[in-house]
Amino acid sequence: MSRVLIIGYGNPLRGDDGFGWRTAERLRSTIDDPQVEVRALHQLTPELMEPLSRVDRAIFIDAAWPAPAACRTGSVFTHHLTPAALIAGSRTLYGHAAEATLLTTPGENFDFGESLSPGVERALDETIARVHAILRRP
Amino acid sequence: MPRQKIVIDPVTRIEGHSKISIHLDEQGRVEEAYFHVTQFRGFEKFCEGRPFYEMPSLMARICGICPVSHLIASAKACDSILAVRIPENAARLRRSLNLAQIVQSHALSFFHLSSADFLLGMDSDPAKRNLLGVLEAHPEMARDGIRLRQFGQQVIEWLAGERIHPAWIVPGGVNEPLTAERRDRVLAALPEALAIAGRTLDWFKSSLEKFREEIRTFANFPTLFFGLVDPDGGLEHYDGQLRVLDSSGHIVQDGIAAEDYGAYIAELAHPWTYLKTSYYKPLGYPEGTYRVGPLARLNLIDKCGTPRAAQEWAEFRDLERGAVLSSFYYHYARLIEIVFALEKIQELLNAPEALDTNVRAYARANNSEGVGIAEAPRGTLIHHYKVDRDGLIVWANLIIATGHNNAAMNRGVLQVARHFVHGNRLEEGMLNRVEAVIRAFDPCLSCSTHADGSLVLRIELRDHSGNLVDQIGA
Repeated sequence: MSRVLIIGYGNPLRGDDGFGWRTAERLRSTIDDPQVEVRALHQLTPELMEPLSRVDRAIFIDAAWPAPAACRTGSVFTHHLTPAALIAGSRTLYGHAAEATLLTTPGENFDFGESLSPGVERALDETIARVHAILRRP
Repeated sequence: MPRQKIVIDPVTRIEGHSKISIHLDEQGRVEEAYFHVTQFRGFEKFCEGRPFYEMPSLMARICGICPVSHLIASAKACDSILAVRIPENAARLRRSLNLAQIVQSHALSFFHLSSADFLLGMDSDPAKRNLLGVLEAHPEMARDGIRLRQFGQQVIEWLAGERIHPAWIVPGGVNEPLTAERRDRVLAALPEALAIAGRTLDWFKSSLEKFREEIRTFANFPTLFFGLVDPDGGLEHYDGQLRVLDSSGHIVQDGIAAEDYGAYIAELAHPWTYLKTSYYKPLGYPEGTYRVGPLARLNLIDKCGTPRAAQEWAEFRDLERGAVLSSFYYHYARLIEIVFALEKIQELLNAPEALDTNVRAYARANNSEGVGIAEAPRGTLIHHYKVDRDGLIVWANLIIATGHNNAAMNRGVLQVARHFVHGNRLEEGMLNRVEAVIRAFDPCLSCSTHADGSLVLRIELRDHSGNLVDQIGA
């Protein structure tokens, strides 16, 4: 069994932005496997490069608007990074990059609030199913 | 040539959102420069009506970078409302937690936010002048930065249960004692962190020669300095009393108790920023401009208190005959404080009393008012609450490090802009230096934008032609 790090990120107080965070919280309560670590985070920070170098696979979960920022690496607030930057940094600094998957769903409402839009709520269940499918892969 | 304005928006590699505007005269010379904080929060207002014992958890939400310092200042204000003296070991554990916070926050500032300027150069390609550029060009330094910040965060988690918003600090102390297993984990991780801090400090000192012009011009002017010192005049981040020092190194006021801060510190609001400005009341504004944070703390003290940090502090103080005035040296001071924090955590947790289980005092609200002061990574943090007979908050005021430094930061921006920016030859490296002077102070803007009684937020109602028909606010 390969080692997997699942990272759901976003702000649970900003509507659909909390999608990744909430999905990770749900996964954490349903996955009981010492090879799989689930983290619910507000943002992606450089410190994640080190644990990412120690796993075989990484799954990032995020809400996106208007489109995923997976391919952008630059940021003016350098302690908030993209999955691509983290994976690249993990390879540069520690000589290993996990095989990474980014699961995003388009958000509708990023205003203050702790609930998800109905469509994003449905995507949460589907994302959990997809994560389990990825985990079942050899 | 007409008057012109240069706007840097957003200011990059700092905590929070802000912009800088530089005003040029008809000859293209810098006439004025402003540091604008463009976001507003209102924690003082929306905590009104809440029970005082909720304050540490609520106030810590102000910031995700240094929540521990807010927890501590808030809990100390609540201790004062309870009118309790907390158990000695509770103070030891709170102090250790605050020092771990200083390690992780200083590491973030030095390695993640500023090291690109030192390693790649102030004039290097802006597309690469960031953490990712450092990672490519100097992976060993990037790894050290990541490791040191991880250490600070990990110690916070080991001590308090959570990295970001731990609920361990409570009014009256901490809510559970330290176990031997968690103490041993911290102690085992310390040598590696100390080695990283030591070699980074050695490298930075050897690099200072390259930054002579920045040292000369980065908010390098006389101001007062303000912050906590311990009863023996040593470096202090958790308790002690307040001291005010002048630029020649003479003590202006000493032994100020937390509850007396209002006699010495006043605040004002400018219409162009949500960040309040603090000043030393007896001298008025702007003569009472002062600085807080690592540079101020190392200027204020008579001694440092731990072996390696004491040596480094002595060397640092030899930079100038009086107080060290250049704000570029905030970076240097930050590294010395990391060494101090690591050595101090080692000393505090090696004591057998660190496992003492008496860590909390219980009481009801016995005072109607409480002030709590701690040194956050960026400087002195003051929480002041008033409660009614039921212990509900009726008034709160927070004075944050970045507000203390606001007047000096603005003067610093003007000094750097006048030196490096000339309207007829505008280069990116010049503008980076204007940002870099702000970065030297390591401002954290999320927790520093509050009302000081009158809201500086202004709402204007304009008709389709742009005519003002109504307005609310200042």
